[in-house]
Amino acid sequence: MAKNDQGGTDDAGTVSRRDFFKTVGVGSLATSVLTAEDAEAQATAPRAVGPGDVPIRLRINGREHALNVEPRVTLLDAVRNRLDLTGTKRVCDRGSCGACTMIVDGRAIYSCSTLAIEAQGKNIRTIEGLASGTVLHPVQQAFCDTDGLMCGFCTPGFVVATVALLEKIPNPTPEQARKHLDGNICRCGTYVGVLEAALNAKGVARG
Amino acid sequence: MRQVPEVQAAARPQKHEKYPWPEKPALIGTEVKRIDGPEKASGRARYAYDIKRPGMLYAKILRSPHAHARIVSLDASAAEKAPGVRAVLPWRKAGEKVVYQGDEVAAVAAVTEEQALDALRLIKVQYEPLPHLANVEQAMRAEAPLVFEGGNVKVGAAEENGDLAAGFKAAAHIVENTYNTQVQTHVSLETHGCVCEWQGENLTAWVSTQAVHGTREGFAKALNIPMNNVRVITEYMGGGFGSKFGPDVQGIICAQLAKKAAAPVHLLLDRKEEHLATGNRPSAYARIKAGVSADGQVTAFDAETWGTGGAGAGSGFPLPYIYQFPNRRRVHKDVYINAGQQRAMRAPGHPQGCFITEVLMDELADRVRMDPVQFRLKNLPDEAPNAMWKSYFPMAAEMIGWSRRHPTGDPSPGPIKRGLGCAANRWGGAGRGTRAHCEINPDGTVIMRTGTQDIGTGTRTIVAMVTAETLGIPMDLVTPQIGDSNYPFSGGSGGSTTCASVSPAIRVTAGKARDALFARIAPQLGAAPEALSAGNGRISAQGGKSVAWKDACKMLGTEPVSVDGEWEAGLSASGTSGVQMSEVEVDIETGITRVRRIVCVQDMGLVVDAKTAKTQIYGGIIGGVNYALFEERLLDRNTAQMVNPDMEFYLIGALSDIPQIDVRIVNQPDRGVIGIGEPPAISTAAAIANAVRNATGVTIRSLPLTPDKVLAALERAGGTN
Repeated sequence: MAKNDQGGTDDAGTVSRRDFFKTVGVGSLATSVLTAEDAEAQATAPRAVGPGDVPIRLRINGREHALNVEPRVTLLDAVRNRLDLTGTKRVCDRGSCGACTMIVDGRAIYSCSTLAIEAQGKNIRTIEGLASGTVLHPVQQAFCDTDGLMCGFCTPGFVVATVALLEKIPNPTPEQARKHLDGNICRCGTYVGVLEAALNAKGVARG
Repeated sequence: MRQVPEVQAAARPQKHEKYPWPEKPALIGTEVKRIDGPEKASGRARYAYDIKRPGMLYAKILRSPHAHARIVSLDASAAEKAPGVRAVLPWRKAGEKVVYQGDEVAAVAAVTEEQALDALRLIKVQYEPLPHLANVEQAMRAEAPLVFEGGNVKVGAAEENGDLAAGFKAAAHIVENTYNTQVQTHVSLETHGCVCEWQGENLTAWVSTQAVHGTREGFAKALNIPMNNVRVITEYMGGGFGSKFGPDVQGIICAQLAKKAAAPVHLLLDRKEEHLATGNRPSAYARIKAGVSADGQVTAFDAETWGTGGAGAGSGFPLPYIYQFPNRRRVHKDVYINAGQQRAMRAPGHPQGCFITEVLMDELADRVRMDPVQFRLKNLPDEAPNAMWKSYFPMAAEMIGWSRRHPTGDPSPGPIKRGLGCAANRWGGAGRGTRAHCEINPDGTVIMRTGTQDIGTGTRTIVAMVTAETLGIPMDLVTPQIGDSNYPFSGGSGGSTTCASVSPAIRVTAGKARDALFARIAPQLGAAPEALSAGNGRISAQGGKSVAWKDACKMLGTEPVSVDGEWEAGLSASGTSGVQMSEVEVDIETGITRVRRIVCVQDMGLVVDAKTAKTQIYGGIIGGVNYALFEERLLDRNTAQMVNPDMEFYLIGALSDIPQIDVRIVNQPDRGVIGIGEPPAISTAAAIANAVRNATGVTIRSLPLTPDKVLAALERAGGTN
């Protein structure tokens, strides 16, 4: 069995605590003074993966997808490039504009700053999962009604962030809505309609 | 780089004889929801970035890390052998120069984006760094190295009017100051780029562009192939603001990689490349000496101006802006530095000229102790359909409650100072050649096809509206088809010319289609074609029969009505006016400015869709807030590297930064369509700057109005009170 330099093995499930202490060596033990809990956590941590493609499974909008990606691939790129779900946009690609917003286990997250392998086992919701057929989600409808969109490139991110807001706070104050949506940037300047949509959207179930 | 100039044409056209705008429209001027809203809000809309073709590769561009260098050698052999790589394209050869950080050097196409990025790192380029210029001060020094052939500074001809000496003699007060505005980048959310696919010698390109036809021409010229062989498709595009008018270098690289790899190639830039290499609004500097008479008439204006549009590009802007200085002189210098070239950006030149002039106007008004609005009313041009400021200033003043404005400097105690400011804008707009094709099908559905594109302004909706209005039918019977160079010619979406180019073309084409329908079905209705009219979803004969639209179309049998039409004079005009006022709060302890409110009075000729028009105005104003307070391309003065090529340090306002915005649109139906993309973006920053001046009592003659500048100006004025 190949051992990596953290002292883990390529099959973390079979390593014993005793093996673990043997492999980390005296130096690191003396300096880091691991508690038993720390050691247990490290021993059961995910095994090192890659480089090269690794198989992963993602649960997106209630559907399981099996795909092969390099470990460095972000959730955003995996979904856009490998699964061809292109509603979620890549804009800044470093967690400052919100165009890539998805809802993961109930929380709005920046999918450009989340690795695909880290999203395994989680409930991932994207813009594509909101409408049912041609019937728009109430938040999507509200954006159309208030003209809270122009070129539309930031719109999916704003819609998803708004859904996350309304599932948490069904009747937000303008102040709450602004705060919650401040992680999203629009360049065309559609904020007036966006805020109106967030305050007007009705019938969004509490998540 | 193709620039879209401000267009000037007649301010009030002769009414179109055959198809004038309706006196009592059913749709035009009402609030119509954008018809592609559901596609965009659901994520179904496919942008160039989202195109996926079978076997498609991903490409990346290697760019110069140096501001100025000669390429000594370029070795791409390791990249060619890298995993997944299908094509490598050296863009520059040994011996050639790169003139800014981000200049293109080579490119790679690979199976995955990650593999393309890895391969870029394997390209070995040896550079010989050359002396560079990182800012205008460095470039204008007498001892500056000669970086640009023909000189680092290009002096323009003097613009002169009247008798400057006499003008200063007539002045009771003279103001002399230097003003400046920053470089801002477009930050289109969808970056520049395209997907290219060859079938033999034919290229199909899905491009994020503001001009499908212009881009087709650009591809054909650069690739040396017939225009017939190129098809450009832009179903949706994620913002351009003036920066997307051709294939650009990345488009040509993409097409060449696709050819080389014999596979479709996706090449969309990343955010850093977008900041560095796809355009910007140039900086502006103005050293001004201006005079005003004791009774508040401006008398003289003498300005030396300069600015940089980057490596070898211009930096012109209008000055003085709008107000009538009878005696004036102005000399402008384009200063070249080692940075990416400027491109047209939402009202090119105007926000710069507006900010500089309007701040100066408030300083002059204070010298003669006049209210800024009164002072402006005294110095504005005479009123005309395209010069309505004398009416709009009082209207905006009423909206914001200008009468409560205190003189310069908020006298109230405490660190939060409040103030009001105002500024005016003008723009050309106007229409030009657009062609369209209309089909009325026997089932009553209608196709209207034109090779324009929707850059987020609502063009698709306008096409459907004008068609439905002209045929007297509901909009859902109309399918507008746009965004394809295989459709009839339409120009680029720049200079606020789209609506005024497209709407008349659709009006004429739909009118012709209606007439052709009348001619075909008149015999069956037992009436002369001239006696037929269309409206309320019916075709009616004068004093006789009336049939539902669908029944009338059934009379066509199997052959649809199919007609071509084009833009004609008499349905559009040129020249808009607007006034904006701003209310701000400045914290004189932190220097932070918060814009509380903007009011806006704006015309645009005939309002087509009142809903999307208002959205455009909001968007322009919000762009102006960003320009006033946040945005600035920062280049390191030693290396000429951009230090904020991202979206966390290149600041753009979010919801909490947006003030209350109140818009009053003035409809001018008798002028025809003009366009509204640019005008409202022009005067917001100037109105904010004057409100900050009114609040704090100090003048900040430099954009953006960052806290450090506010605090420094207060310090110079003797500290906070």
